Amino acid sequence: MDRREALKRTAWIMGGAVSAPAIAGILKGCAAKPTIGWKPVFLTMDQGILVSQVAEIIIPKTDTPGAIDTGVPGFIDLMLKDTYTKEDQDYYLAGLNAFDEEAKKQHGDPFIELSAEKQEAFVKKVHDAAVVDAKNKKGEPKRPFILMTKELTMLGFFTSEPGATQVLQYVAVPGSYHGCIPLAEAGNGKTWAT
Amino acid sequence: MNLNVDAEKENTYDAIVVGTGISGGWAAKELTEKGLKTLVLERGRMVKHPDYPTATKDPWDFAYGERPTQEDLKQQGVQARTGYTIKQGTKHWFVNDLENPYTEVNRFDWMRGYHVGGRSLTWGRQSYRLSDLDFEANAKDGIAVDWPVRYKDISPWYDYVESFIGVSGQAEGVPQLPDGKFLPPMELNCVELELKKSVKNKFNRLITIGRTAHATAPLLHSPQRGTCQFRNLCSRGCPYGGYFSSNSSTLPAAEKTGNMTLRPNSIVYELIYDEKKGKATGVKVLDGETGEQTEFFAKVIFLCASTFGSTFIMMNSISNRFPNGFGNDSGELGHNIMDHHLSVGAEADVEGFEDQYYSGRRANGYYVPRYRNIGSDKRDYIRGFGYQGSASRQGWASVVGELNIGADLKSAVSSPGKWTVGMGGFGEILPYYENFVVINKEKKDKYGLSTLTFDAILRENELKMRKDMAADAAEMLDAAGFKNVRTYDKKIGVGLGIHEMGTARMGKDPKTSVLNKWNQVHACKNVFVTDGSFMTSSAAHNPSLGYMAFTARAVDYAVGELKKNNI
Repeated sequence: MDRREALKRTAWIMGGAVSAPAIAGILKGCAAKPTIGWKPVFLTMDQGILVSQVAEIIIPKTDTPGAIDTGVPGFIDLMLKDTYTKEDQDYYLAGLNAFDEEAKKQHGDPFIELSAEKQEAFVKKVHDAAVVDAKNKKGEPKRPFILMTKELTMLGFFTSEPGATQVLQYVAVPGSYHGCIPLAEAGNGKTWAT
Repeated sequence: MNLNVDAEKENTYDAIVVGTGISGGWAAKELTEKGLKTLVLERGRMVKHPDYPTATKDPWDFAYGERPTQEDLKQQGVQARTGYTIKQGTKHWFVNDLENPYTEVNRFDWMRGYHVGGRSLTWGRQSYRLSDLDFEANAKDGIAVDWPVRYKDISPWYDYVESFIGVSGQAEGVPQLPDGKFLPPMELNCVELELKKSVKNKFNRLITIGRTAHATAPLLHSPQRGTCQFRNLCSRGCPYGGYFSSNSSTLPAAEKTGNMTLRPNSIVYELIYDEKKGKATGVKVLDGETGEQTEFFAKVIFLCASTFGSTFIMMNSISNRFPNGFGNDSGELGHNIMDHHLSVGAEADVEGFEDQYYSGRRANGYYVPRYRNIGSDKRDYIRGFGYQGSASRQGWASVVGELNIGADLKSAVSSPGKWTVGMGGFGEILPYYENFVVINKEKKDKYGLSTLTFDAILRENELKMRKDMAADAAEMLDAAGFKNVRTYDKKIGVGLGIHEMGTARMGKDPKTSVLNKWNQVHACKNVFVTDGSFMTSSAAHNPSLGYMAFTARAVDYAVGELKKNNI
């Protein structure tokens, strides 16, 4: 008997029907459903929440800003809408749904309702499997949902000002070129953003 | 009657230049500096130095991480075939393919920019001299026709244009790649220096820093130009004037004389030929904004509308004298399309050099001059190829496929990645009569003008050469001790090199060529064609510097002939 079934029985025992969202609320200890501070234009709200959560796990806020701070989820939504072919959009959404189904299968709940710890562990597991799988394949096979999201997250983040200037280093007008110098003398020694 | 005479007088100049790209800018400068009142016609919009709309934007100023949208790819699908031109920072320098269609029998890539400055704003800036190895090649091989010039004829003009535009490079004393008037060379990086050493020791081949039209020192004669700032954002247009473009260099020089009238949105679609005079008296112009048709007149006309642009105008100029296209007594107009074939070479990973890096963004790479079919080297194909390449440390994109995620990803990406190195060939394409372009009266562009149909392919000589281009690159990278060496040979269309040439070639005999050695139409002495269409063979290197040199030389000749009343 899984937790959801258990809860339903509990509700029945308690003598009343409980709506699905309410069940979810009970499961989460009545926490409010997660929200995002932007309105998706391509994704549904729930898909937008999922992508936000995954992006922040890929590039979290540390001593430097993370994916959400730099507007990456909205960036991904817009990239999907305007730069993807219909075929790639469908492929991405199918991948997103499969990702969510797998989360439900493994944890009994939609991804967006899992605890932060479970989300992180799940993303890591799916991500690592995808990376290993891709390395074992010849050529450049189409990236699965998790790696497409990783690529979009990194593109959005490292072309953002905090990503380019705090995690990487960026000089708008270098003024000169030095071809062969010790790493320590190449600015602050971090990777050049461009 | 009088009105017409007045209008004609008002629309009459000493010289007309069609086009403002690399050749047109040079024709404008030279003609105006020699005192000719010159009308410069550009089919596209005005672009004035230093007004380049995206030039100073930072990465975060662009939507979509600068990538193209599906709508961009719909409007500019052909232009996007390069993979590097249709981005948010540069797409405005390339034509709308829906408005400017053409037909390709086999894949044919025609990259165009319709605006003042043309492709001089987006060119690759690599600047190499042809040598007698190239000028003598057709005669020695017994193919096509002989060049009517030799290196000694053009060498002083190379000096002249290099001194003006500024070419950064290293003198090497290699006969097949003559040295020029160079500004200080850019530096090779650590891995490139290692490769240079190995290639010299093991193959006795040269690696030199690319010769590029960047001002690595001030150009005192062009005060509007500064020096290269190593931003590597050249194809957005450079507000510093760090590299040569018509907009930053030749057009301001022409403007300064007071003799230039620059008229944008002026689509030249036909030459006006006067049978009695045996001369072209002017050009017919369609206003790109209003659709108004106007005629302009001059004593001498320079067609610098790009190889296929000028060829189109000539093919579209039908008269009793020239029923098969202007100046086309030979039947060669539109034939012998050449380009450089590329997208073939090798890449490798580099171990070590981890405590070494670079600073600044060098818009340049290394160059391997041609070494095949020189001296005792004989291959199963004729001519040869050069390589352009570079080494660099990988950035964030290399981590997408790695296990790093979360805080670990941030720290992994902030340290420079592994070094990688690559070299890509630029191969000579022979002038085949069978590679040609014709006018297509069925398909019209948005102005109602006829369009072009291309039928050109790489043939046996090029395909054999490509095998060497991949294998030699791999061999050199391998010999340098680099790892995971992999070759590539992408299927391309002719045109992808964006070095289209040859459709109005020069030659000694009017029966087999369109132009004489002065870029002058054999059959009409007051029309000169100085864009890539004059090229008799393609050589293996970037041709634009040659267009400049031949243009300056042609103007010098034309003005001399005008003074002698010969034209």
